[in-house]
Amino acid sequence: MLRVDKASVFFSARDGRTVHALDRVSLDIPDRAFVVALGASGCGKSTLLNAMAGFLPLSSGSITLNGVEVIGPGADRGVVFQKDSLLPWKTVVENAALGLKFAGVSRTERLVRAQELLRLVGLQDFADAAPYELSGGMRQRVGIARALATDPAILLMDEPFGALDSLTREQMQELLVDMWDRTGKQIFFITHSIEEALFLGTHLVVMSPRPGRIVARYDLDFVKTFAATRDARAVKNARAFAALRDEIRDIVHETQVLRSAAE
Amino acid sequence: MTDIAATSAPVAVGGESAPRLVKMRRFGVGEGSTLPISLLSGAVILAVWWIVAELRLVPHLFLPTPAEVVTAAVAIFQDGYANATLFEHVGASLLRIFTAAAIAIALGTPIGLLMGLNKWAKGVFDTPIEFYWPLPPLAYLPLMIIWLGIGETSKIALLSLAMFAPIVLSAQAGVRSVSQERVNAALSLGATRFQLLREIVLPSALPEILTGIRISLGVGWGTLVAAELIAATRGIGYLIMSASQFLATDVVFVGIGIIAACAFAFTFAMRLLEAWLVPWKGQN
Repeated sequence: MLRVDKASVFFSARDGRTVHALDRVSLDIPDRAFVVALGASGCGKSTLLNAMAGFLPLSSGSITLNGVEVIGPGADRGVVFQKDSLLPWKTVVENAALGLKFAGVSRTERLVRAQELLRLVGLQDFADAAPYELSGGMRQRVGIARALATDPAILLMDEPFGALDSLTREQMQELLVDMWDRTGKQIFFITHSIEEALFLGTHLVVMSPRPGRIVARYDLDFVKTFAATRDARAVKNARAFAALRDEIRDIVHETQVLRSAAE
Repeated sequence: MTDIAATSAPVAVGGESAPRLVKMRRFGVGEGSTLPISLLSGAVILAVWWIVAELRLVPHLFLPTPAEVVTAAVAIFQDGYANATLFEHVGASLLRIFTAAAIAIALGTPIGLLMGLNKWAKGVFDTPIEFYWPLPPLAYLPLMIIWLGIGETSKIALLSLAMFAPIVLSAQAGVRSVSQERVNAALSLGATRFQLLREIVLPSALPEILTGIRISLGVGWGTLVAAELIAATRGIGYLIMSASQFLATDVVFVGIGIIAACAFAFTFAMRLLEAWLVPWKGQN
């Protein structure tokens, strides 16, 4: 379980002012949970993810993974970035195997294991392609396979589908649910799409900006329904889904209105 | 209605007239080859030279005709010049350039990478490099002779110094061009500091380093003639210098032609090397 306990982050902005990016955020990500953080840009969700990944130290508070304090980046937390960060000089399968290479796994073994992960994300036929020959959605799938290769306890995903077109995006959501259902990983997923948040999460936290904090929490079961029935349209057309979507849209708008009123 | 339908009929392919192919207007030089234009330009220069020399518009001592230069080239190729064969001259120059390039690359790449990564390395090396790099090599040539003598050492040292700085500066720029996201990705996959350097930083900086090597080879040829002024008995620079003492302009032209051909071959080889080492350059 990943536990965030009263995490606060203060930046110094370029003009010397102090920015309060994260305000005493507490969040538990239990085993097998799919936690989605939703909010407008600037609400601190990426700050929170960077702190979980160990890219950013906290000003106060703590983050622990299975009881061990997070002090820096490590292979126990896989990260999928918004922009794909694949290495253009390596083939797709070598990219997926990168974490295993860092861990000192022999070449033949790591390529076999990476090939299995490529099968999990449906890219087994593109193992020897160069990353720049793939489409955006395929590259993000390689990114997911790469993050899974070191068998991390948790996957941290920073708007991974943000740059994809809506058709590819829906395919990727279903693929991700599949992967989550099969591997049982904890996932922390950032998005600014309400529909995506409702469809994917078992837990949803809504964040509001300045300072970034959690303003609402929901427990959801749409993703479990989808994993069981494989019918995305029925899930998204359900009355409960629509009702919740409107409710959350109101919350997000409210916090935005409050913010612009305060300025 | 029928008129509209008729005029908007689908484009007939393979009909009486092929469709007019269009593409977006572009700014600047497009992708079309400029080779014919370049060949024409070369031919015009040759023709002008030939006419000026043939009509004796310039004293013959100063400007030989193209035919005389070719004759001189054949003679040098067959009999050598200034107590050495043509291959000994070219070989001596190439050996100096290659040795100096090897030293400059072997020292410049790690120092440049280190300067891009470490505040102390940058602070320490910045002062001497920024001080000597803008100096013309001819200015510190006397010091090289006084310190290192008139043998090969001073020549290679001069060339290495001239070729070192562009490689250091480009390696440094290469490190700066590594994206933070790529570094974060590697760290989150468990990379150690050394693995980060070898697997991420070095390959990311490689295109810039290769560009630096290309620039430094150009600088190297420029400095070579100066280096061979120092009591050399072999080398293309020496060949040119000794020919000029006898006002043998045709031989000077031959020497210039050889340097140009070598430099062109180097540029071409570097381009092949880039295509082989960094095929991803320019791809996203």
